[in-house]
Amino acid sequence: MNLKKQSMAVAAVALTLGVTVTAVPAYANDGDVIREGSCARSTDWKLKASPENGRIEVEGEVDSNRRRQTWRWTMRHNGSLSARGTRVTRGRSGSFEARRVMVNMKGKDLFVFRARNVRSGEVCRGFVRF
Amino acid sequence: MSRIRPLLTSLGGILKARMLEVPVRLIRNPVAQFLAAGALVVTVIIIATGRLSEQAANDEAVADSLATTQVLARSVAEPAIPRGLVSGDTGAIDRFDRAALERLRVDKVKRIKIWNSEGQIVYSDQTDLIGQQFDLGDDELTVLKHGDSNAAVSDLSRPENRFEIGPDGLLEVYTRVWSPEGEPLLFEVYYSADDVAARKKEIFDAFRPITLGGLVVLLALTTPLLWVLTRRLAASGRDRERLLRAAVEASAAERRRIARDLHDGVVQDLAGTTFALSATARTLDVGPDETRKLDEMSGSLRSSMRSLRSLLVEIYPPDLHSHGLTAALDDLVAPAAGDGVQATVEVTHVEDVEDDVVALIWRVAQEAVRNALRHGHPTVLDVFVSGNTDSVVLEVIDNGRGFVPTENTTGAHFGLRGLRDLIKEIGGTLDVRSAPGEGTAVRLEVSLP
Repeated sequence: MNLKKQSMAVAAVALTLGVTVTAVPAYANDGDVIREGSCARSTDWKLKASPENGRIEVEGEVDSNRRRQTWRWTMRHNGSLSARGTRVTRGRSGSFEARRVMVNMKGKDLFVFRARNVRSGEVCRGFVRF
Repeated sequence: MSRIRPLLTSLGGILKARMLEVPVRLIRNPVAQFLAAGALVVTVIIIATGRLSEQAANDEAVADSLATTQVLARSVAEPAIPRGLVSGDTGAIDRFDRAALERLRVDKVKRIKIWNSEGQIVYSDQTDLIGQQFDLGDDELTVLKHGDSNAAVSDLSRPENRFEIGPDGLLEVYTRVWSPEGEPLLFEVYYSADDVAARKKEIFDAFRPITLGGLVVLLALTTPLLWVLTRRLAASGRDRERLLRAAVEASAAERRRIARDLHDGVVQDLAGTTFALSATARTLDVGPDETRKLDEMSGSLRSSMRSLRSLLVEIYPPDLHSHGLTAALDDLVAPAAGDGVQATVEVTHVEDVEDDVVALIWRVAQEAVRNALRHGHPTVLDVFVSGNTDSVVLEVIDNGRGFVPTENTTGAHFGLRGLRDLIKEIGGTLDVRSAPGEGTAVRLEVSLP
C-alpha cells in the first residue's frame, strides 16, 4: 500500500469516525427521532423521523453555511432506495432540507440519508431507526 | 223513569244503527271503493317498482363502483406502479404510496389492496397488510388470469379483511393491472355498503316521483269523473226504482179495478142467478127432471163462481197485510185442491213484516204456485212462510216434473225472473232449485230492517 492509498484510507476512517462519532441521537416531542452529526468537513447534517398519519415523515437537513452549493441526496428505507434528488443550499444558513413521507413497515424501519456535495465531494450520511 | 228507560234504549239503538250504517254506506260507495282499489294498486305498484328499482339501482351502483375502479386502476394505479413493487421492495412501496395514495383515496374508497399472483399483498393503504399472504379466491384468480373486473360483497370474517369494521359491510371490486416488469397484479378497491346504498337511494329517488306522481295525478283526475258518473248512475237508479214502483202500483190499481168490477158485477149476477135457479127448483109446479136439471145448472154456476173468485184472488188478493197473508195464500192454492193436488200452507211469525214485503212474498208465491201447477203437475205442493227478527223466508216446494234451471226453452219461469229486480230493490234474494224428476223448490229470503 503506497502512501497515497494509506492517506486515503486514514482519511476515510477519519471521515467515518467523524460522522459516526459526532452523530447524536435526540428525541423531540410526539415520538420524533432526531439524529445530528457532522459531515467530512465543516458541514452539519440532521435527520428526523416523525409519525405522520400512519406513515413516517423523514426529514434530512444539510447545513454547510455556504450558499449555492449543489448537493445530491438519497433516502433509503430498509436498504432500498426510496427517494432521491438534487438541492442547492440557500439562505443565511446555507442549508437545504429534503422531506419525504415513507410507509411504516412492520417492525423497526431504518432510514439512511446521504448527501454529496457535487463540487467538493463532501459526503454527509446519517441514519435513524423508527 | 220507567217510561224514560225504554225511550233511552230506543234512542241508543237508533244511534248505534246510524253509527253502523255510516261505515256500511261508505263501503258500498263506488267512489270509496275506487279510491280503496286505487290505494291498493298504488301500494302494489310502489312495492313492485320499489323492488325493481332497488335491483336496478343496485346494479347501477355496482356498475358505478366497477367503472370507478377501472378508472382508478388505468389512470392512477397502473402508471404509478414502480419497478420492484411486485417483489415487495420497500422503496418502491414508498414511491407508489407517495405518488398514488392521495389520488386513489377518493371519497367512496375505503380500502386499497394490490396483490401479486402468489396472493401476497404488495401494497395497501393499511400498511400492516403489506407483505402478508392470503389465499386468493377463484374469482380473483380468474380476473388475474383473464383480466376484466368483478365485484362482490366482502366477507369480513376473512383474515385479510380484519381491519374492516362497521355494521354495513363493504363491496369489493377488483381488476387486473400490470407491473413494469410485466407481472399481473390484482388491484382491489373496497367501497362502503353505505355509499352503495346511498347511490341506490339516489337512483331510486329520481324515479319515484315519476312513478308515484303519475299514479296520483291519474287518481286525482279520475276520482271526480267517477264521482260525477256515480251520482248520475245513482240518480238513474232512483228513477228506475221510481218507475218500477209506479208500474207495480199501476198494475196493482188496474188489477184492483178489474177485481172490483168482476166482484161487484159478474160475481154478484152469478150469485143472484144461482139463488134464483135454486129457488125455482124448489117450486111445486116443477117436475123431478126439471128440478134435477136446475140443480145441475145451479151447481155448475156455483163452480164457475168459485173459479171466478179464485181468479179474483189471483188478480188481486183481498188483503195483503201480514195478518191476511195466510188467507190469501190459502185462496191461491185453492184451485190446486180441485185438481187433486195435496196443497199445504203454513205461515208463522210474520206479524211484524211490512206490507210491501208481504206483497212481494205473495207475488213470488203466486208465480211459483202458478208455475208449479202449469208446468210441474205435482201431487204435493207446500207453501211455507216463516219470519224471525232478521228476515222472512218463503218456500214453495212441489214434487212435480222439475226442470233444468239453466235451460230457458219454455219460458216457464219468466215471471219469477221478472220479479228479481223488485226482490233486489227490497233487499231480498231468490233461489230456484230444480232437477228433472226431482220437483222444484223456490226460496225467497228478505232481510228485515
